[in-house]
Amino acid sequence: MATVTLNNVVKRFGAFEVVHGANIDIKDGEFVVFVGPSGCGKSTLLRMIAGLEDISGGEIAIGGKLVNDIEPADRGIAMVFQSYALYPHMSVEQNLSFGLRMTGNPKADTERRVKRAAEILRISELMDRRPKKLSGGQRQRVAIGRAIVREPQVFLFDEPLSNLDAELRVQMRVEISRLHKELGTTMIYVTHDQTEAMTLADRIVVLRAGHVEQIGRPLDLYDNPDNQFVAGFVGSPKMNFINGRVVGRNTRSVTVELAGQERTRIMQPLTGAAPEAGSKVIVGVRPEHFGGAGEGDTDLVVTIDVVEHLGGTSFLYARTANGEDVVIQRDAAKVPTTSEVTVSIRKSYLFDEKGLRLR
Amino acid sequence: MRNRNATAYRFLAPYLLIFSVFWVWPIISSFLISFQATRTVPWRFAPGFNWGRLIGDPAFFNALKNTLLILVIQVPVMIALAMVMAVLLNSPLLKARGLYRFAFFAPVVVGEVAYSAVFRLMFSLDFGIVNKLLNSVGLPKIDWFSNVTPAMALIMIAVTWRWAGYNAIILLAGMQSIPEDVYEAATLDRVSKLKQFFYITLPLLKPVIVFCLVLSIIGTMQLFTEPFLITERGGPGGGTETLGLLLYRQGFRSLNFGYASAVAYTMAALAIAITLVQLWLTREKQ
Repeated sequence: MATVTLNNVVKRFGAFEVVHGANIDIKDGEFVVFVGPSGCGKSTLLRMIAGLEDISGGEIAIGGKLVNDIEPADRGIAMVFQSYALYPHMSVEQNLSFGLRMTGNPKADTERRVKRAAEILRISELMDRRPKKLSGGQRQRVAIGRAIVREPQVFLFDEPLSNLDAELRVQMRVEISRLHKELGTTMIYVTHDQTEAMTLADRIVVLRAGHVEQIGRPLDLYDNPDNQFVAGFVGSPKMNFINGRVVGRNTRSVTVELAGQERTRIMQPLTGAAPEAGSKVIVGVRPEHFGGAGEGDTDLVVTIDVVEHLGGTSFLYARTANGEDVVIQRDAAKVPTTSEVTVSIRKSYLFDEKGLRLR
Repeated sequence: MRNRNATAYRFLAPYLLIFSVFWVWPIISSFLISFQATRTVPWRFAPGFNWGRLIGDPAFFNALKNTLLILVIQVPVMIALAMVMAVLLNSPLLKARGLYRFAFFAPVVVGEVAYSAVFRLMFSLDFGIVNKLLNSVGLPKIDWFSNVTPAMALIMIAVTWRWAGYNAIILLAGMQSIPEDVYEAATLDRVSKLKQFFYITLPLLKPVIVFCLVLSIIGTMQLFTEPFLITERGGPGGGTETLGLLLYRQGFRSLNFGYASAVAYTMAALAIAITLVQLWLTREKQ
């Protein structure tokens, strides 16, 4: 187990900078997920921690030891790749033991480690099979097993579940979570799937275009996002954003009128500087924060286009009077039957024009 | 469904006709000719005439020995050399990679007569650059064309020069199809580059290596150009005569088509047998 510290880490490919000074402190035994859209630099950051990519600037320390110029094999990490990266010509047992055999590790110790990994991952009966004779989930277990036998200080996972089908992904997510509890080792996990991030992480690092947007516990990010990007990225279905305009302000709150709906006004308490009257703002409302008419702060008339019934809950895909799309979550029993309905906003977030949260 | 198949066959008919007349029929015809005495007029059916001669013909065994010798020495050396070239071409440290790839592949597209003429000049006893280089380092000149051993070596050098780059490009394509993350996983496992080559690259390249070997074996069994043009019709004294040359000599100089056909079928059978043995030896164990 070890801490991992990224201090102003920069990555450039030629003149093109892809990671712009990342600062992240990962605690001993913590499960941290790097999440963000494609091309945000999350895998690059992970590969820099692994030593598979050079560091263009800044410092990376593992267990308090600077590793910028240390070989990947000497960093005390093990990595699970998106494509599994199993050796196709070797059996499961050979895949697990290959690294240890090549480095002259004592045979008895190699056998012990392989047996333990196989037991942890419940793949003991697959040891003689080649990767092509395994299912996607089994291959992923072998890839994780290969990391376990190294007994690393830090596990690195690079989108390990993205090649699996939805059902298997849920199953493996639980397995990885169980593994973290069992081993207690520091884990850094990269994914573009916010559900994986929310369910697995002790803390989430949200990245966008090479910048760290916010670091926090899953529910903190969900309940208290720093900006519109994080608010929109965390949560499924994503937060609704409705344009608005400040029509009144005082020292402790602002009143916002939703675009195209003169009578729909929301009062937001603010502790920081309030925007000028007349300035444009964005009101964020999570799908579950809509209520029935009169149940919340303000009522809003929407036109329903599509209703998705998921059993216990339903999602209403609707439009505001201004033509903005909104998704509303409702109990299945409370789905309205008319196309035009009035809903209330029970809780909302306010963002300025640049997308920064107004608190 | 029958109608659709008939239409497809009508479209294929022109090709199938040409294929049957110029490919299938000669194969069948030459097999039948191999059972005929073709030095009499008219030809007569005599099953033991050519095949019986083959078993006791010293010229055939000389050509067979030469062909197999080239096969056993030249093919492995060439594939090993091609592998080294492929590794170098695959190195991220190599600059002007495209130029080297072209240079290695270029011998294949050079005309056979032109390259043979250049080799004759290069290895000439008095004027050749090779002998001049040997002299310059204090070694005696070698008469590459008058002695059997140097002549065989010359054939092997020429064939290797011509085909090593071609095989290197095929091996390179195979190497580049091995996913990079397999090597990254091995790097994280502290496996050295040399061990990565022997334990990952070579095993994963096995199908490509087998493919190159099969192509080379078939090519060597049919070897004709180099002994015909460089060592002048298999000289000295038949010392570099190969089965391909024997076939040519019997068929087109002595007009003994029956015997030439028997030699051709023997060459094909040997190539198939050697290839099958090799495929069996290198098969993937389950």
